[in-house]
Amino acid sequence: MTDTWGIPGPTFLIYFIAAMVAVAVFAWFHRKALFRGIRFARVDHLGPQQVAYLNGGPKLAVYSAMGGLRAANAIGTGPGRTLVQTGPLPAGVTPLDSAIYNAAARGLRARDVFTDQWVVAAVDQLRDHLETSGLAVGNTKMREARTWTLAGLALVLIGIARAVAGAANDKPIGYLIPLIFFAVILTIALYTRTRWATDSARRQMRELRTQHRHLSPSESPSFATYGASGAAMGVALWGSASLYTMDPAFAAEAEIQRVAASGGASGSLGGGGGGDGSSGGSCSSGSSCGGGGGCGGGGGCGG
Amino acid sequence: MADRPRVGAPATAAATTGVPGPATAAAPAAAGTGVTYGVGIGWRPEIAGFVAELPGLRFAEVVAESIHPHGDLPAGIEALLARGVTVVPHGVRLSLGGAEPVPAERVDHFAAVAQRLGAPLVSEHIAFVRAGGIEAGHLLPLPRNREAVAAVTANVRRVQESLSVPIALEPIAALFDWPDDELTEAQFITEILDRTGALLLLDIANVYANARNRGTDPEELLDQLPLDRVAYTHVAGGAEHQGLYHDTHTDAVPQPVLDLVTALCDRHRPPALLLERDGAYPPAADLRAELDAIAKASAYPAVT
Amino acid sequence: MTAPDGTAVDHEPPAPRQADDPGSLADRQAALVEALTAGRPMPAGFDGFRFEAARVALLRKRAGEVSRQWPLLAASFGDRWKHEFATWAATRPTQGSLRDGWDLARDLLARAALPPMAATELAEREAALHYDGASPPRPRRGPSLRVAAGAVAVQIAGRVRVLRRP
Repeated sequence: MTDTWGIPGPTFLIYFIAAMVAVAVFAWFHRKALFRGIRFARVDHLGPQQVAYLNGGPKLAVYSAMGGLRAANAIGTGPGRTLVQTGPLPAGVTPLDSAIYNAAARGLRARDVFTDQWVVAAVDQLRDHLETSGLAVGNTKMREARTWTLAGLALVLIGIARAVAGAANDKPIGYLIPLIFFAVILTIALYTRTRWATDSARRQMRELRTQHRHLSPSESPSFATYGASGAAMGVALWGSASLYTMDPAFAAEAEIQRVAASGGASGSLGGGGGGDGSSGGSCSSGSSCGGGGGCGGGGGCGG
Repeated sequence: MADRPRVGAPATAAATTGVPGPATAAAPAAAGTGVTYGVGIGWRPEIAGFVAELPGLRFAEVVAESIHPHGDLPAGIEALLARGVTVVPHGVRLSLGGAEPVPAERVDHFAAVAQRLGAPLVSEHIAFVRAGGIEAGHLLPLPRNREAVAAVTANVRRVQESLSVPIALEPIAALFDWPDDELTEAQFITEILDRTGALLLLDIANVYANARNRGTDPEELLDQLPLDRVAYTHVAGGAEHQGLYHDTHTDAVPQPVLDLVTALCDRHRPPALLLERDGAYPPAADLRAELDAIAKASAYPAVT
Repeated sequence: MTAPDGTAVDHEPPAPRQADDPGSLADRQAALVEALTAGRPMPAGFDGFRFEAARVALLRKRAGEVSRQWPLLAASFGDRWKHEFATWAATRPTQGSLRDGWDLARDLLARAALPPMAATELAEREAALHYDGASPPRPRRGPSLRVAAGAVAVQIAGRVRVLRRP
């Protein structure tokens, strides 16, 4: 009985594993180089929507704009989970704000905002600007990084071909099957692992998050106090969960999905559930200190 | 942090005479030390970003029960302390007016928070918040009689034993009174202060609310209180419902309360006046305007 | 000071203590708290109108605190939230706002009256924390999957994800 393709099984397996490791390592280094960004690029002058793009891509940028518009009472939700205009467009808005505001005038369903051509154009514009500043990973670089998917795909196909040939040849293929499975995972990862921010942008984003910790949903920030830009920045840095803190009814009506900001994600909604800093967490005696305000509130008595 | 200026001197020996009256006991140098803080604000996580950006702020308050004395402080508090802002722990759940003794673990927590913050003083209320194992969820008034004075005094002394800094006691605003009050409000407060040597945290909005709801003159109460023992003053907003004024802390500070601030400062200006807001936080500009209004009413420099 | 203080309100003048001794301070405070929070009758001698105003104010304050812990539960009732909570809480003393909201949400669920938005919130909480209804909720150790009125939430390693919204 001859070896399939003239290569002994164990040898093939070793070659196959080596090829997988090589693809993973090369792809990793390549991505590293592609995503490096410009060393002295700064994020501290960026607007909330730009920060949102870097943290969570187009979707979070749109949510950030929606948060700002909602806080400024420019948009709301109407029947059938649509967006509606509820007030005038505030001064000093971005093209993305205008695009969403106009979409609201047309009564677009909230979930269709992402594919609205004007919104898409505004997000593209936002990304292009960030890309030239060395902060965002542009489409070209992302495509280039994704070319490694082909290498992964080739491995999967070779593996399947070998398995088929081996099976026809009455050879054991028990070890090959899980390896093909790993190759599939690798291929999917190479395709789907999307990066929005360059490494240099990501490093500074951490600082930005520390600086704006008061906007984290765990603090139940008062967006009435922080204003529209605070609301937009809260979404940008802490993910779309901020929209649920700010205006739960709007967020639920508009079917806001949880988009976690990379790095600073708060997985659960609001502070309470996660046990992170709300009644249970930061108080001396469990829930006994609920209602941090202390006194007043509806006030029979004040203190 | 021991070198921080103190609002009040350590408690003086308690005068335990049964006859209340204007503070005849040697007044602790509440304002006598000359240390003034001016206008402050109650720190709340919801408005931490706003408080952090008040350039002239030197005085803040934090709800004591929200602080972990042995864990991390909230980042906003940490930043205020680093800036040299004095942060005073304000207890709301010790229930000093409760008939039963304050639980030791609550006292320990309170004292540990004071130490952690390096606070020059602490504050709590002349009120009770639980009884018979049930939490009221709010500050409730005491009957103004000797029995209540004794209960408060005993509890304040228990707390004082664990504290290395003075405690200031805050009379509350009450929508109702007990049927068998024996003492006037001024007598009740003064008696407790005399017996415990505690300082007074005068909430000017409470003075206003009580006077308005009882149909009395708030300035008369100011005349009867030992104003030289005021460690600092609370200023807060409220609203009227069905003819009663509610000290909500969720509404704007009304002009009469600001006028009362001026009336107080004309008599004896407290070392610090602190804006208390506990919910329905307004836009930053409105909060700033309230702080400025308090500064104007008290002739302290603006902190905004 | 001899000026009237609390006596401006129209209640009966204080009875002499020995005639009908109102009891110790502890007993009287307990009776007051029970009347304010547990639906017990108001102790004698208080001004009924003012006492009621304080009772209602207290409930509304609690409603505000619960809405901070349970934003979706509160939002799902819109303007009716304070009334809804106050009605439910009138005879239930607070256990802290996290538990108050939780108990109300479970009650609504049992009555098939939990709004969809609130169901999502409840499912998330149930997945994240273990709550036996009697002691403070604790974080769950292992992974969990919870269903509430059509909402499905899963928790793995402390991270909660909503799988289905009603």
